[in-house]
Amino acid sequence: MRLTDILLWLFTAAFFVFMLLPILVVVVISFTSAGYAAFPIPGWSLKWFARIFEYQPFIDSLWVSLELAVVATVASCVLGIPAALYLARSRSGWATAITTFLLSPLSMPMIVIGFASLFFLSALGFGVSFLALAIVHTVICLPYVIRTVTAVYRGISPAYEEAAMILGASRLTTFREVTLPLIRPGIAAGCLFSFLTSFDNLPVSYFFGSAQTNTLPVVMLAYMEHQFDPSIAALSTLQLALAVVALVVADRLYGIEKMTVAT
Amino acid sequence: MSLQSLAARHRRSLLLAPALIFLAVFFVMPLFDNSMRSFVTEEGGFTLARYADFLTDRFYLGVIAETVVLSAAVALISVVAAYPVAYVLVRKSGRFSGMIIFMLIAPLLTSIIMRTFGWQVLFARRGLVNQWLVQDLGLLDAPLRWLNTPGLAIAALVHVLVPFAVLSIASVLQGVDRRLEEGALMLGASRFRAFWEVTLPLTMDGIGTGAILVFMIANGSFVTLVLLGGGFQTLPLLIYQQFNTTRDFPLAATMSTILLVIAVACLWLQLRLVRRQGV
Repeated sequence: MRLTDILLWLFTAAFFVFMLLPILVVVVISFTSAGYAAFPIPGWSLKWFARIFEYQPFIDSLWVSLELAVVATVASCVLGIPAALYLARSRSGWATAITTFLLSPLSMPMIVIGFASLFFLSALGFGVSFLALAIVHTVICLPYVIRTVTAVYRGISPAYEEAAMILGASRLTTFREVTLPLIRPGIAAGCLFSFLTSFDNLPVSYFFGSAQTNTLPVVMLAYMEHQFDPSIAALSTLQLALAVVALVVADRLYGIEKMTVAT
Repeated sequence: MSLQSLAARHRRSLLLAPALIFLAVFFVMPLFDNSMRSFVTEEGGFTLARYADFLTDRFYLGVIAETVVLSAAVALISVVAAYPVAYVLVRKSGRFSGMIIFMLIAPLLTSIIMRTFGWQVLFARRGLVNQWLVQDLGLLDAPLRWLNTPGLAIAALVHVLVPFAVLSIASVLQGVDRRLEEGALMLGASRFRAFWEVTLPLTMDGIGTGAILVFMIANGSFVTLVLLGGGFQTLPLLIYQQFNTTRDFPLAATMSTILLVIAVACLWLQLRLVRRQGV
C-alpha cells in the first residue's frame, strides 16, 4: 500500500471515530447501573429503560410523537404521491420550477418555519393544537415523499403502463396493478424519511409546546435542562434501535440502493 | 394537438393541485405573513425603519456576520473533512463500501438530543476525554474546559452536517471517469498532479453542492448552539431568545426575514450548480 493510501485510510478511520464515538458513549451510558451519566461505569443494568416507562411525560409525549409522525406521513403521501407522479413524467422547465418549490421547505430555516407557522396558525384559529402541529410537520415531511417517489417513478419506463392500457386496463386498474407496485420502494423510502424526520423534529415542535402537543424531543429537551441522568441516554438508544430496525426492514424489503436513488 | 388531448393533459396537472395548494397556504402564507410583520408599523402603516435600524446597528450587523461566518466555517470544515472520506468510499473501499455507507447513515438516524448528550458525556469536566488526557495518558495536569467553547459547538455542528457533504461529493465522484485520471498518469503526471488537475476540478460541483447544503442547514440551526453553548450570537439563536424572553415579535420577524433571504440566496446558488451538472 502506498503512503497516500495509508494516510487516506487513517483519516477515514479517525473520521468515523469522530462520527460514532458520541453516539456509542450514549448507548453505553444507557446500560449503566449508576445514577449519573459518566464514565467509568460501575455495572450494567436495564433500570434506565424501566425508568422511561415510569416517567409519565415521556410516555405521553411518545404517543403524541408517534401519532404525529403517522398523521404527517399519511398526509404527505396523500398530497405528495399524485404530485410526484405528475412531475416525474414531465420534463418542462415549468415542472422543474414546481419541483423546486415543492422541495423548498427542506431548504428554509426550520426555526423560521416554526416561528412563522405558530403565528399564522394561531391567527387562523388552530392555535397550539395537535392539528396545527400535524400541519407544520406535513409541510416539512412532504418534500421527502415527493423526492423519493419522483426519483423512483422517473427510473421506471412508461412502457409497462402503456402495455397495460393497450391490453385494455382502465386508468385506475393500471395505477393499482402496475404503477403502484412499481413505485412502492419510493413510497416506502419517503414514508421512512418522513416518519423519522417528524419523530425527531425539535426546532418546529418546540414552538408548539403544550400539555397535549409536547412531542418526545421537546420533553427530552426540557428534562435535560433540569436533570442529567441516563434516562435520556436510554430513550435515545431505544429511538436509535427503532430507526435502525426500520432501516434494515426497509432494506430487506426493497434494497437500500433502490431507496437511496433519491438522495 | 387535439382539444381532447389538451384537456387530458390539463386534467393530469390536477394531480399537482393538492400539494401546491397545501404548501401555498401552510408554507408560503406563514412565511409571507411573518415577513409582513416586520414591514408594518404599530399603527398599521408600511415601514422600512426596522431594517434601517437593524442594518445600521453594529451589534446586529455583527450577529449577521457571525451567522454567516459560523455557517461558512462549518461548511468549509465539513467539505475538507468529507472529501478524503468520499474518495475512499468511491475509489478505495471495495468490499468495505457497504459498511462505510452504514456508518455514514447511522448518525443521521440519531436525534440531536442524543448527539448533544454524547458530547456532554465526552467533554464534561470529569468527562471521558479529560479522564484520558489527565489520568490515562498524563498529557495534562488539570482537566480542560471543553463545554461552552466555540470549538466544541463547531465540532458538534460539523458532526451533524458532514455526512451530507460526503454524500454530495461521493455522488459526483462516482460519475467521474477513472480513465481520465489514468490518462494523466500515463502521460507522466504524478499521482498528486493527476488528482489536483484532473479529479479535483471534475468534482468541484459536488464540493459546491455539499458546501451550500451544509451552509444552508447550519444557517438555521440553533438547538446545538443552545445546548452546547459556545458564546455564539447568531440569527437563529436571537430569534429563539426573542421568542422565549424578550418577546419583541416584529424584531424576530425582521431577523427571520433576513435569515430567509440568505436561505433563498443559497437555494438559488444550489439550483445554478445543479443545472450546470445537467441533472
